[in-house]
Parts: sequence; C-alpha cells; structure tokens
Amino acid sequence: MANINIDSIKERTFDAIVIGSGISGGWAAKEFCEKGLRTLVLERGRDVKHVKDYPTTNMYPYEFEHRLEMPYEDKQKNPIANRCYAYREDSAHFFVKDDEHPYIQEKEFDWIRGYQVGGKSLLWARQVQRWSDFDFEGPARDGFAVDWPIRYRDLAPWYDHVERFIGVAGNRDGVAELPDGEFLPAYPLNAVENHFKNIVASKYDNRYVISARCAHLSQPAPIHLEQGRVQCQNRVLCQRGCPFGGYFSSNASTLPWAEKTGNMTLRPFSVVESIIYDEQKGKAVGVRVIDTNTKEVIDFYSRVIFVNASALNSNLILLNSTSSRFPNGLGNDNGLLGKYIGFHSYTAVITGEYDGELEYRTDGRNPAGGGYIPRFRNIYKQETDFLRGWAATFSASRTPSTDTSGVGVSLKDQLLHPKLGNWRVGSHMMAETIPKESNKVWLDTAEKDQWGVPLLHIDVAYDDNDWKIRTDYFEQMTAMFDAAGFQNVKTRNDDRRPGNDIHEMGGVRMGHDPQTSLLNKWNQLHTCQNVFVTDGACMTSTATQNPSLTYMALTARAVDYALMLMKKREF
Amino acid sequence: MFPSCWGGANKASIALRKLHINAEQENLLAEIVESIIPETDSPGGRTLHLHLFVLKMIDDCHSEEDQQVFVQGLKDWDQEMNDAVGKSFLLASSDQRQSYLMDIEKDKAHPLSGFFMMTKRRAIQGYLNSAYVMKNKLIYELVPGRYNGYAKV
Repeated sequence: MANINIDSIKERTFDAIVIGSGISGGWAAKEFCEKGLRTLVLERGRDVKHVKDYPTTNMYPYEFEHRLEMPYEDKQKNPIANRCYAYREDSAHFFVKDDEHPYIQEKEFDWIRGYQVGGKSLLWARQVQRWSDFDFEGPARDGFAVDWPIRYRDLAPWYDHVERFIGVAGNRDGVAELPDGEFLPAYPLNAVENHFKNIVASKYDNRYVISARCAHLSQPAPIHLEQGRVQCQNRVLCQRGCPFGGYFSSNASTLPWAEKTGNMTLRPFSVVESIIYDEQKGKAVGVRVIDTNTKEVIDFYSRVIFVNASALNSNLILLNSTSSRFPNGLGNDNGLLGKYIGFHSYTAVITGEYDGELEYRTDGRNPAGGGYIPRFRNIYKQETDFLRGWAATFSASRTPSTDTSGVGVSLKDQLLHPKLGNWRVGSHMMAETIPKESNKVWLDTAEKDQWGVPLLHIDVAYDDNDWKIRTDYFEQMTAMFDAAGFQNVKTRNDDRRPGNDIHEMGGVRMGHDPQTSLLNKWNQLHTCQNVFVTDGACMTSTATQNPSLTYMALTARAVDYALMLMKKREF
Repeated sequence: MFPSCWGGANKASIALRKLHINAEQENLLAEIVESIIPETDSPGGRTLHLHLFVLKMIDDCHSEEDQQVFVQGLKDWDQEMNDAVGKSFLLASSDQRQSYLMDIEKDKAHPLSGFFMMTKRRAIQGYLNSAYVMKNKLIYELVPGRYNGYAKV
C-alpha cells in the first residue's frame, strides 16, 4: 500500500502548477515548459483544441439556425452573458451560462467568463497597448491605491518578449504615453480615420489618433509560422476561434508550444478548490482540485504555483485557501485580499457622419478595428477636476445602407442594390477607474456552488470620478468631431454595468509594503513566496490600456524570476 | 383554393415549439411574404422559404407578447382585409395586395401593423441572409484576405 501511495503522490507531483489556461496561464505554461520544468496546467472547463474544437469557424451566416441571433429563451435565461457584445450564436459555446456558475451581486455586476482551455483568450478584443510610466506612476502621483512596485523599465524587455511571440500589428508612433514595441506592419487607417488623425494633430498638441495595435499576424514572422499560425485573413470572426491562428490565443499559440516540449500536463475539468499551505514548511506545497466529472478531490504538488484563474477567480481561490497560518485566505495578513477591485469604464459612445472623402470606401475588413486615441488628460500634471482620464477608439466605415421601405418589386430591388451613403464615424470611451477599498469581493459563508466552493460576492460600482470623466469625453470628443467637420454628432450614455468591460482587475494588488499590498514586485505573495499571481488580480491600478498584454508580460517576467529562485533552491 | 385537409393534420410544415399555426395560415403567410419579396427574374419569398424562416424566428426569438400579436394578426388578416377591400388576400389581385400592404405600412395604428412589421422585418432578414442572396447577389466573403481603406468608389 505504501508504495502505491508513494507512486500516486509521485504521479501527482510536478515542478510547477499553473492554475488556469487563459491568456496569462498559457504564458506561464509556455515559459516553464520551455525551460524544462514539468508543468501541470489546471483548467476548470473542457478542453478546446485549436481548429478541431472551433465548430462554427467556417460557417456562413445562413448556416446558423437564427442567423447569429440568440433565441429569446436564452436571453431570458442568461441575461449576463447576453449583455456581452461577443455572445452570439457562433460563439455562445465559449461563454459561461449564468445559472451554471452563480455569484452574488451586491450591486449590478456583469461577470463575463469563459470556462474552457484557452479561457477568454479565444474571445478577447485583441487590442494590445503597453503601459508607460505615466500609468505606473499614477497612484503615487495622484494619491490613490498604493505605489506600483515596478516601472516601465522593469517590464519593457518582457513586453518585447511577449510581442515578438504573439505578433502585434502596429506603428512605431513615437508617443511617450503609449510606448512603441516590437511590431508587425500596422493595419493602416482608412480615408476618414486619417482625415480625423490629421485634424486632431493640427489642432491639438498632445492628442494622437494612431492605428489600433492588435494581436494579429499582419505579416507573420518565422516564430509565428513555427507555431503553426499564418497570416490573418481579415475574417474578423475571431470569437469563433481562428483556423489560421491569425490572432493570438492560448489555444493557437502558447499551449501547443508548451505541449511540444513534452513537459506540459494539461488537466481540464479541474476546479481548484484551494492552494495547500504546509504549516511546517512555511510554504505552499500544492493545489486541491475537484474533478468536475467524477467529483473526486485530488491533491497535486509542486515547488511553485502560478495563479492565473482570471482576476476574480484568483481572488476566490486565495480567499478559499485557509490554514491556521492564514485563516483569512492565503497571504491575507492585512485583510486587503479581495479589495481595491478596478475595471474600465466603457460608459460613453459618440457617433457622427461625414460627407467628405466620398471618392473612397473601404474594401475587406480591418482586424484592428480602426484607430486608437491614447489618454491625453492629466499626463504630465493634474489639470482637470477628475483623476486620470480616458483613451478611446475611433473608427470610420462606409458600408452600403439599405432602404427597407415599401413592398414588392421595388423593395426587392432596394434590398439588392444598397446605396453607398456618407461615412459613419464612431468612438467609445475606455476610462481608467480608481481602485477603492469599497470595491471588493468576498466569499459567502454558507452558499456553495456544485463543487462545494463558496460563492463569490461582488460589490463593485462606478463613482463620481467616472461620471466626470464621461462628461469630459463627451465635451472633448464632440469638439474634435466638430473640428473634423463631422455632422449629426450624437453622444450617448452606454449604460453597461461594471464588469461588462471584461477588464476586472485587482484584489491581490502588487506593492512595496506587505502592510498595504498582497504581492511584491515579482508577483509573489509577500508572505507565501512560492505562490505567484500574474493575471488581472495583481493589478494595483487600471490605466486605460487593454490589460491582457501587461498580464502576459508580468507573467513571463515572474516565471523568469521564479526559475532563478528555483535554481538557487529557494523553493 | 386549398382544401382544408391540406398539410395532413392541418399543421404547419415545420416543427414549432410555441406557435400554433395551421396549414392555411402558413399558406397565407407564404403569400404575404411573397408579396413583400416577390419572384422576379430571381427567386422570391415562397421559393426561398422565407415564410418558414419568419415562423422559425417568431417561434424562437420573440417574446410571448410578440407571438400573440403575430398569431392574432394572422388570424385576423382575412377579416380585416375583407372589411377594408372586400376581398380575401388569396383572391385579391397582385395590385390589391401591394396597396393593402402599403396601407398597413403607412398606418402605425393599423390593427395588423404589429404583425406586418414583424413579418416584414424577419422576411427581409431571411432574404438578405439566405444562401441564394449571399452566393449570387450580395456576395458574402467568409475569407476576405484583405483590407483597403482607400478603395476607389
């Protein structure tokens, strides 16, 4: 018997365990496996193999029963998932349904989740921008949250490392607020986007309209071909999974790369109940998993553990990892675990029309989506009555429009001969939010999910700063649209709930001081140093940038550091 | 005219979960949809089965209230038209049908307005997203492989 147990424990022992296979977990897996570590990657959902498990990827619109519309019953049953822009008949199988994984909303919060191998990396908007020191220095300068323990120079080489591998289309724009990177050719702006760019450049000193930087292979390099990925074919059907590997996902890139090393064990259907802390050894020794098929509880062991379960689930796992040493959750001596949650405020939209550049239209589809306006408010100093600021998208399109009035032969003729009208222009706001102690998550003491894991309470809301920023966005964008000669300019509140931005961050923030933060500058728990958190949970502040690139860079950097410590036998 | 036994058990020809539609009503809907998008030198509503698409979408993608409005509209259609035009839809000429449909479209308060607008919207959606139109008329490209922001008009 003893031998069997020893063998069994041996089989369940790895060098590294990565919890989660999404955008950051995939990176941890790749980096560990490449360096020869036997790595267990745990995923709570099912496996999704690149191409093979993209059932809708080559379907035409008429092959979908409801032409991509979600049925009424599904909308009634899953209001949260249905509020996500990407949840449609071609992608619904990659989203968590509301009633399968309940949570408790103290205030309205849309928690959008993708429980499968690859996580939300299959579904993301693929926009990637680097942070600058104007972002890292924000909390210290403006007196909120805590100081970031890192600066741009710490992350820059890791941004390089990640960008080269995932492939990022972009221009070297020379904008200090949005550092340049290792880019493939950008997707150029169209006629009206360029017109807007030129007007903005001529009227304002520090405002820029650039080609949106996106994780698409505009021109694959050898490293991308080696991953089995080829040039993006401008389908813009990314949420179905891409048979070309044209955009970056864990499924198309990091996970198959890790698998090729022979060092990865991928275990789907594995809900992590908690991280196991050994009181004698004074460190984490493994992870307790519930097999969702058999309901069996299985412990796995490793020298180092990376928590990449997605921001709020990483909070949940740590909160649920209690021991005599950590009665309030792993690493939670200061009681701040689960607090200072941030997100992005996407609550404003502006639209208009333009009757210039009518000799042009667009042809094909732009995977980048158009232009991007980096934050320009409060960059060098505080200059408004709100903290921080907003970035924005900007795009112009000229798709033919259809007159659907009338009936009969004339209607049919109108339908078959849509008319090219004016350009339509639009922008939506992506604003920084200020993480506050009152924006928090915690575990319910009684209610549990079907695996016996406590339900998460989410208590997150907008604040006055968010509404002031929105007012500024409307004022400034209206002025910029007017300056560009756009007509019929309309501003609109986007009443989406927090969480619907799908950029939830924080709760396990990084910082210098164990009294006021959970993680150190290497993403290690201050008080349990063989546990690293490198997904959205680690974020001290939110900036305005789409965050995934930063999670990936932080992950690669943290793995490198963990490897160094492991070589020195520190754990 | 269609005998009342048309369609076997006098049910709609496709499986519906919520709507109760008989074969005559299905046929009337097909005629209405054909009048909205008629056969010309290219197929129209009936050939492309757009009326069945309308039924499918009303059945799956609309609220119960919408479904009630739809079913009631289909029931009331001939009586309303008889009262207004003195003829049922099936006996009316092509011109009479067109002008009756236009009367409904222009009058938001018309008792058949809700039914008509739902039917028309779904018929247009079905038409523009049909394999026929996407392959032969307004070609849908699954794999464009290009983007040009300065294409000459």
